[in-house]
Amino acid sequence: MSALPWHRRHSWRAGGAVLATLVLTLATACGEPPGQESDAEGESAGLTDDPQFVWAVTGADRHIHEDVARLWNENNPEQQVEVFFLAPTADEQRQAMFQDLQAQAGEFDVLGLDVIWTGEFADFGYVESLEDMRGDIEDVSLPGAIDSSQWKQELYALPYSSNGAFLYYRTDLIDEPPTTWDELYETGMEAAEEEGISPFVGQGDQYEGFVVTYLEMFWSAGGELFDESQENSTFLEGDAAQTALDFMVEGQENGFFAEGFDSMVEDDARALFQSGEAVYMRNWPYAVPLLEGEEDEESAVAGDFAVAPLPTFTGEGSTSALGGLNNAVSSLSENKELASEFVLWAATDPEAQAILADNSLPPTMLSAYEEADDPNFEMLGDILAEAHARPPVPGYNSLSLEIQDNLHPAFLGQEDADSALQAVDTAADDSLDGE
Amino acid sequence: MSDSTDLAPDVAKAVRRRADGLGERAIGRIFLAPSIAFMALLALFPVFYAVWMSLYDIRGFNRDLVGVENYVSALTDPGFWNAAQNTLVFTVASVSLEFVVGMAFALIMHQAFVGRGLTRAVILVPWVIPTAVAAQVWRYMFDHNPGFVNAVLGTEINWLRDPAWSMVGIISADVWKTAPFVALLLLAGLQTIPKDYYEAAKMDGANVFQRFWTITLPLLRPAIVVALLFRTVDALRMFDFAYVFSGYSNSLATLSVYSQRFLVAEPQLGYANALSTVTFVIVMLVGLAFISRMGRHMVGDVGRKEKR
Repeated sequence: MSALPWHRRHSWRAGGAVLATLVLTLATACGEPPGQESDAEGESAGLTDDPQFVWAVTGADRHIHEDVARLWNENNPEQQVEVFFLAPTADEQRQAMFQDLQAQAGEFDVLGLDVIWTGEFADFGYVESLEDMRGDIEDVSLPGAIDSSQWKQELYALPYSSNGAFLYYRTDLIDEPPTTWDELYETGMEAAEEEGISPFVGQGDQYEGFVVTYLEMFWSAGGELFDESQENSTFLEGDAAQTALDFMVEGQENGFFAEGFDSMVEDDARALFQSGEAVYMRNWPYAVPLLEGEEDEESAVAGDFAVAPLPTFTGEGSTSALGGLNNAVSSLSENKELASEFVLWAATDPEAQAILADNSLPPTMLSAYEEADDPNFEMLGDILAEAHARPPVPGYNSLSLEIQDNLHPAFLGQEDADSALQAVDTAADDSLDGE
Repeated sequence: MSDSTDLAPDVAKAVRRRADGLGERAIGRIFLAPSIAFMALLALFPVFYAVWMSLYDIRGFNRDLVGVENYVSALTDPGFWNAAQNTLVFTVASVSLEFVVGMAFALIMHQAFVGRGLTRAVILVPWVIPTAVAAQVWRYMFDHNPGFVNAVLGTEINWLRDPAWSMVGIISADVWKTAPFVALLLLAGLQTIPKDYYEAAKMDGANVFQRFWTITLPLLRPAIVVALLFRTVDALRMFDFAYVFSGYSNSLATLSVYSQRFLVAEPQLGYANALSTVTFVIVMLVGLAFISRMGRHMVGDVGRKEKR
C-alpha cells in the first residue's frame, strides 16, 4: 500500500474524531445534571413552591436563617420568601452577589451583607436607600449595628445579626479578668511561665481577623479611623495607632503571643486554648459550647475557663469589633416594597430575633438582651452596646488589605513601623472614595 | 479485518473524487471552518471583551470611558511592578529547577532496569494531583502548626510569613508538582533518539558526558523547547500556589493574583481587565518567542516530509 491513501484515510479518521469530540463536548455541556452546578456556588433552601422574592444569605448557620424564613412564610402565606444560601466564607458571598448584580441577573431581592460592605454596595448603586425606615430601628437596634448599616449618614441596610468578641481566660490560673492590656500582658506572661504554656492566642494570620485584632487594640487606645463626617482619616491623630502596634510588636518579641499566632485563624486559636495550651484567648462567642465540652467535644479546659469583655489601654470600658449581617434591598429587585418589608421585619420582629438568640447567634434587637437569663449572653449585650463598627466605607476591602500588607510585616518586625502606619493612613484616606 | 481492507480502496476513491471537484485545500478549509468559528467564539471573544472593558472605569453600575488611563495607572502602580517581579522570580527559578530535575527523571526513566514501569508511575503521581489541592497540602506542611517541614529540616523558619522563604516554599512546591510533567515530555523526546548514534559515539571513544552533550542535548532540542514553552507560559500565569500560601498579600502576589485582587477583592473591573490584558500580552510575547524558535524546526520537518 502506498503512503498517500494511508495518509488520506488517516485524516478522515482524525476528522471523525474531532467531530465526535465536538459532539461529546456539546452533549456534556448541555446535559450537565442540575443541582451539581448549584452545589459549587450555593443553593436554594427549597422552602416554598411559590416564592415571591429571594433572600441571599450566608451558608454558615443556615438552619437559623432557614427558621427565620419559615417564620415569615407562616405569617405571610401569600408572599413567601425563598432563601438562597451562598458560600460560608465572606469573600465568596460578596463575589456571588457582585456577579448577580454586575451581570444584571437580579436573582436576589434581599441581600445579607456583612457589616463592612454597606458603603461599597451603596457606592456601586447595588442597593436601595432605606433612610425612611430609620425611625423604626432607632433605639430598637444596637447603635453599632446601625452605624454599620449606613454610609454618608444614609441607611442602606437594616441590622439583622451581630457578633462581638470575648476575652476567654483560665479561671484556674487567673483570679480576676484584667481591665487593661498591660495587666493582661503581665498576668498572662506570669501564669504562662509557671505552667509552661502560651500567654495569649487569637487571630494573627494575615487576613481580616488580624485587622480586627489590631483595630480592637487601636480603638481601646482611644483611636478612631475617620472623623465624624467620614471625610478624612484620623488614623494617626493621637498616639493610638502607635500604642497598639508597639504593644503587638513588643508582645511578639517577648513571646506574649503563642507560637504560630501569625498564621492563626479563629479555630486554630480555639483548638489551642481548648487543649489547655494558653492562658488568654480573644475569640467570638461560638467557642463557649465547644470549650465546655458539649456534644462529646473533648476539652481540657471544661469548667476551668470564663469569659469577660476585652480590656482597654486606659482600664475604662471595653472594646470589641462588631461582626454580623445587615439586610439590604437589591436595586435590581422587581419586588422592592415586599423586600424592604421583609428587611424591616427581620430587624424588628421580636420572634424572628429570638430565633437568632436561641441559636447563640447574637441578635441586633436591644430588647433581646434584656430578657436574657444567661449571664454570658447578658455580658455580650453589654459588649455589643459599646462595640465599634468597622467603618463601612466603599473601599473597606482595600483598606483592610493595606492594613494586612503593612502592619502584619511590621508586627513581625520585618518592616519599619512608622512607614507602615503612614501607609495605612494614606490607604484610609483613599478608601473613602473607594480608590 | 478483511472488511476494513475491502473498504479502504473505496474510501480512498471517494476522497479522490471529492478532491477532484473542490480541491483538497478548499475541503480542508471547509472542514476547519466550524472549529475555527467555535475557537474564535470561545477564545477570541473574551480577549477582545476584556480589552474593551479595560478602557472603562467601572464601579458597580457606574461606568465611564477613560481610554488608556487604566494602563497608565497599571504601569505606575508599585503593586503591579511588585507582582511582575514576583512572577519573574518565580518563573525563572521554578522553570530552571523543573528543567534540571525533569531531565534527571527522564534520563533515569529512560534506562532499562527492573521496576522501570513502577518508577515511571510513581514519578508521575504529583503531576496528577490538582494544583489547588497540592497547594493546600504544601501550605499545611509549611505551617508552624504542626510544623512538618521545620521538623524534617530541623529549622525554625517562618515559611508562610517571611516573604523570601514563602517564595522558596511555592517554588519547591511547584517543582515537586510539575517536574514530572517536564520529565514526561523529555522522556518522549529521548525515546525518539536512535540507539545507533550512541553506539557509534561509543565506538569513537566518547564518554558519557560527551555523549550527553553532543548527542542527547541537540537531538532533544525540540522536546526541550516544547517543555520550556509549556512551563514558562504556565509559570507566568501561576495563581494557585501564591494565592493559597498568602492570599492577596503583596509578599507573593503574582500578576494573576494581582489581577484577581481587583476583580474580586477590590472590584474595579476596568483596572482588573487592564491588568489581565497586560499579563496576557506578556505571556503571549513570551509564548510567541518560543514558538518562533520552535516553529522553524517544526516547519522544516513538515517541509521535508511533504517533499518525500
